[in-house]
Amino acid sequence: MSERRLAVGLRVFWYLLLAFLYAPLAVVVFFSFNAINSSARFGGFSLTWYEQLFSNDAIIGALVNTVALALTSSLIAIVIGGMLGYGFYRYRLRRLSWLIWLIYLPMVMPDIIFGIAEMIFFIAIDERLGILAPGLGTMIIAHVTFQVPFVALLVNARLLGLDPQLFEAAQDLYASPWQRARFFLLPVLVPAIVSSFLLALTLSIDDFVISFFTAGPESTTLPIYIWSAIRKGVTPEVNAIATLMIASVFVVAVISLLAQRRPNASSTPNRSASS
Amino acid sequence: MSGLRRDTRYLLATTAPGVFFIVVFLVLPSAYLVGMAFLSNGSYGLPTGPLTLDAFRELAGFGFLGWSPGNLYTLIRSVWQSLLATAIVIVIAYPAAYTISRQPVRWRAVMLLAVVVPSWTNQVIRSVGWMNIFAPDTVVSELAVRIGLTEAQMGLFPSQFAVIVGLVYNFLPFMVLPLYAAFERLDIEQVEAARDLFASPVAVFRHAVFPQTLPGLMAGTVLVAIPAFGMYVVTELLGGGKATMIGNLVARQFVQASNWPLGAAGAIIMIVVTLVGLKVLRDLGRRVGGDREVLL
Repeated sequence: MSERRLAVGLRVFWYLLLAFLYAPLAVVVFFSFNAINSSARFGGFSLTWYEQLFSNDAIIGALVNTVALALTSSLIAIVIGGMLGYGFYRYRLRRLSWLIWLIYLPMVMPDIIFGIAEMIFFIAIDERLGILAPGLGTMIIAHVTFQVPFVALLVNARLLGLDPQLFEAAQDLYASPWQRARFFLLPVLVPAIVSSFLLALTLSIDDFVISFFTAGPESTTLPIYIWSAIRKGVTPEVNAIATLMIASVFVVAVISLLAQRRPNASSTPNRSASS
Repeated sequence: MSGLRRDTRYLLATTAPGVFFIVVFLVLPSAYLVGMAFLSNGSYGLPTGPLTLDAFRELAGFGFLGWSPGNLYTLIRSVWQSLLATAIVIVIAYPAAYTISRQPVRWRAVMLLAVVVPSWTNQVIRSVGWMNIFAPDTVVSELAVRIGLTEAQMGLFPSQFAVIVGLVYNFLPFMVLPLYAAFERLDIEQVEAARDLFASPVAVFRHAVFPQTLPGLMAGTVLVAIPAFGMYVVTELLGGGKATMIGNLVARQFVQASNWPLGAAGAIIMIVVTLVGLKVLRDLGRRVGGDREVLL
């Protein structure tokens, strides 16, 4: 009896939880189709705000910047982070425990301090050397810096799950380092590389604070655009941009679900699995 | 011997780029920020010499008009709000993680994904969602007016309530995931033994479930309480003056107020509290989790 009541209670709880998790997103999507400028009353279905969106050069520019930033930083991060994860695994016997603290540092540093520290650093370098002026370049650098540890830990976790004898076998066969990388490491690391690429993308798209402080006047991204727009209140236009970003996240979610369904996929692209 | 040297070369080649990025673009800037706290606030808010402790004195509340507790309150509020949010997250995450762990295997991945996906959307957008819900005249705000929580036309934000909701919403997945991992490894025989001995549900939870999920709880607490303390976006968008946290205080010195040394001093306090918090939670985790691997 009480078992049964517990089961029913948990079911109700689960649906309430889903409502809590998805209500804010659903409201944004819903009111982006509002014919009137309100987020309290629905005045009929309309695509007006989307039409305005795609004829607004500032928003298109911000969209391009967001995508360019996410793709470029993620690609750089999987190369650098993957190498770091490998090096850390392969040579872990050396006195390298300080390295793990270095890897954890970007993960524990509060975003706001991360962003401000980089902002004043880039400004100082720009003043003295005339390089690294705030813009898309500095944003890419900042994003890579916080993506690298996550990629390194995912790749490292995948390597730790492998039979160490595989490495010896590769060496016994006199494979050159290049051949080992090409024919042994790369194939076994593909799932980890794919999921860390997806993770790096979502980390980049999820970030606002670090982007905000390292951005220049010409490198506004969608979150930064939304941030300045909502100073005047939430409008259906903001909701429409947000809806597009929510949709892109759901695409990534479906891809990662399909990837998990594959029999030998190993790691989930989420932050906690990597920590 | 030469093999060893070759290994060293490969080690350097693989780890150097990553180490370079973290050292040059995080450690150095942080050191620069820390150093700035000991400079004086010159004209236009730009830091100049000589070296002083003025920024820390100002941060502690000593100004032209004597001592004021505003900044101290902000620090205490940051700790309090992040702890309150963590407590609420724990209360929600426990039944959630348990529910997921009791489902057929093929459903678990989908349910976990359902919990995690909202946290993949941009943090500004998540707050915009709550701004939509808590605005004046919405269904939720009307309900709040009806039961006397707020006045008509006021809406539910900016408020401390909205900030706590925003924090819980942001960090819930980071508690559910490690707790779920703990529930998945749970030795169900202990639970059944307790039940067979006619232990009350509370006793079963306290003696059979809680100790086994403690490592997950500790890991989740690190992932929730630490970033909640450093939160900027949620408090900036959903909180008014009465819910400001130290992150907002620090940012204001760089964005509007232009008092970089004061902001840097605040940043040092944030880093210190974060590191102390990590150390305390880690030691606590080691103590309660035995030799089990706890985060960090």
